[in-house]
Amino acid sequence: MSFQDIEAGRPFSSRRGLMNGKQDPTQAVAAGIFQINTAVSTFQRLVNTLGTPKDTPDLREKLHKTRLHIGQLVKDTSAKLKQASDIDHHAEVNASKKIADAKLAKDFQAVLKEFQKAQRLAAERETAYTPFVPQAVLPSSYTASEVDVGSDKSPEQRALLVESRRQEVLFLDNEIAFNEAIIEEREQGIQEIQQQIGEVNEIFKDLAVLVHEQGAMIDDIGSNIENSHAATAQAKSQLAKASKTQRSNSSLTCLLLVIFGIVLLIVIIVLAA
Amino acid sequence: MGILYGMVARGQVILAEFSATQSNASVVAKQILSKINQGSDDTNNDSNVSFSHDRYVFHVKRTDGLTVLCMADDAFGRMIPFAFLEDIHKKFVKTYGRAILSAPAYAMNDEFSRVLNQQMEYYSNDPNADRLNRLKGEMTQVRTVMIDNIDKVLERGGRLEMLVEKTSAMNSNSIRFKRQSRRYKNNLWWSNVRLTAALIIIFFIVVYIILAFICHGPLLSSCRR
Repeated sequence: MSFQDIEAGRPFSSRRGLMNGKQDPTQAVAAGIFQINTAVSTFQRLVNTLGTPKDTPDLREKLHKTRLHIGQLVKDTSAKLKQASDIDHHAEVNASKKIADAKLAKDFQAVLKEFQKAQRLAAERETAYTPFVPQAVLPSSYTASEVDVGSDKSPEQRALLVESRRQEVLFLDNEIAFNEAIIEEREQGIQEIQQQIGEVNEIFKDLAVLVHEQGAMIDDIGSNIENSHAATAQAKSQLAKASKTQRSNSSLTCLLLVIFGIVLLIVIIVLAA
Repeated sequence: MGILYGMVARGQVILAEFSATQSNASVVAKQILSKINQGSDDTNNDSNVSFSHDRYVFHVKRTDGLTVLCMADDAFGRMIPFAFLEDIHKKFVKTYGRAILSAPAYAMNDEFSRVLNQQMEYYSNDPNADRLNRLKGEMTQVRTVMIDNIDKVLERGGRLEMLVEKTSAMNSNSIRFKRQSRRYKNNLWWSNVRLTAALIIIFFIVVYIILAFICHGPLLSSCRR
C-alpha cells in the first residue's frame, strides 16, 4: 500500500500540484481519530470514577476540560474529513483511496457514538451535564457523504445556535420574572414594617404630649401642696397665740371672781352689824 | 393556611412526598412534573417557577437535576415557600447524597416524609421562618406595648387630675383654717382686753367704797380737809 502510494504519487506530482495536498487531509483525519479515541478513553475512565469516593469538584473540572478537548478535536477532524471528501468527489482518484476515506469516516462515526455513550453515562451520574446535541448531526452528514448534506450543515448549525440562544433568553426571562416576584414581595413586607414603624412613631409622639400635660398637672399639685403647707403653718402659729391668750384670760376671770367674793363678804358683814 | 404539600423528585421519579390535607395535590404535582421535564431540555437545569391552580400555587425549584415542589395558599406569597424548597433540597442532598441518582420511586418516602411534615409545620406557623415576618411580629409587639403604655399614661392622667382637685381643695381648706385661726386669736385677745378693763374698774369702785366708809360720807368731806 505505502509503496503503491509513493509510486502513484511520483508521476502525478509532475502533472498536478493538487496531488501533494491529497495525502495530508487523509493522514490528518487518521491522526485526529486516534487522538479522539485516546481522549474518549480518558473521559470514560473519569466517568467511571463518578459516584465513588474519588468524586471531587476537581474531578468534575477535569471531566469538563476533557469534554471540551474532545469537542475541539471532533471539530478539527470533521473539517479535515470534509476536505478529504471534497477531494474524493472532484479529483476522480484511485478507488482504494476512496475506500480508505470511507473507512475513516466510518471510524469517526463509531468513535463519536462511543463518546456519546460515555456522555450519557456521565449525565446520568451527575444529572447536571448535557450531551452534545450538535455532535449527533456530524456523523449523519458524513455517512451520506454528499455535497448537498454538507452544504446544509451550516444552516442546521445556525438553526441550532439560534434555538439554544432563544432557550437561554427564555431561561433568563424566567429568572428575571422570578426574582422580580421575590423582590416585590420583599418590598411589600418592608413597606408594611415601615408603616408599623410610622404608627409606633405616632404613638410615641402622643405619649410625649400626654406626659408633658401630666407634667403640668404634677406642677399644679406641687404648688397646691406647698401653699397648703404654708397656710397650715400660719394657722398653727395663730392657734399657738390663741392658746396663750386663753391662758391669760382664765387667770383674769379667776381674779374677778375672787374680788366679787370679797366685796360680797364685806357687804354681808356690814348688813349683819 | 400555609404549605400543604411537599414533594422531592428526580426527573419524573417521585422520591418522597407528604400531604397535610386530603386533596388532589399529588395528581396535579405529577402533571406539573411531566410538564416541566417535557418543556425543558437539559440545557436549562436550574429554575424557579410557580404554577397557579384553583386557590393554590405550586412552587417548583429545580437544582442539579433534583426537583423540589410544594403547594401553598395563594395568599402565602413566595418568599417562605421558596425558602422551604431550598431548605428541603439541602436536607435531602445532605441526608441521601449520591443515592439520589439511582434510587427507585418512593425510596425515601418512609423517613423523609416526616422531615417534610416538620418543615411544613415550621415554615407555615413559625414567624421566625422569615426575617421580615419576625421583624413584622416584633414591630407589632412594640406597637401593642406602646398602646398599653398610652392606656396606662391616660389612666395616670386621670388620677393626676383627681389629685390636682384634691390638692386644690386641701389648699382652700388650709387657707380657710388659717383665716379662722386668726379670727379666733383676735376674739380671744379682745376678750382678754375686756376682762382687764373690767377688773380695773371694779378695783377703783372697791377703793372708793372703802374710802367712803373711812371718811364718813359719800362725798369724802372729812378726808378732803
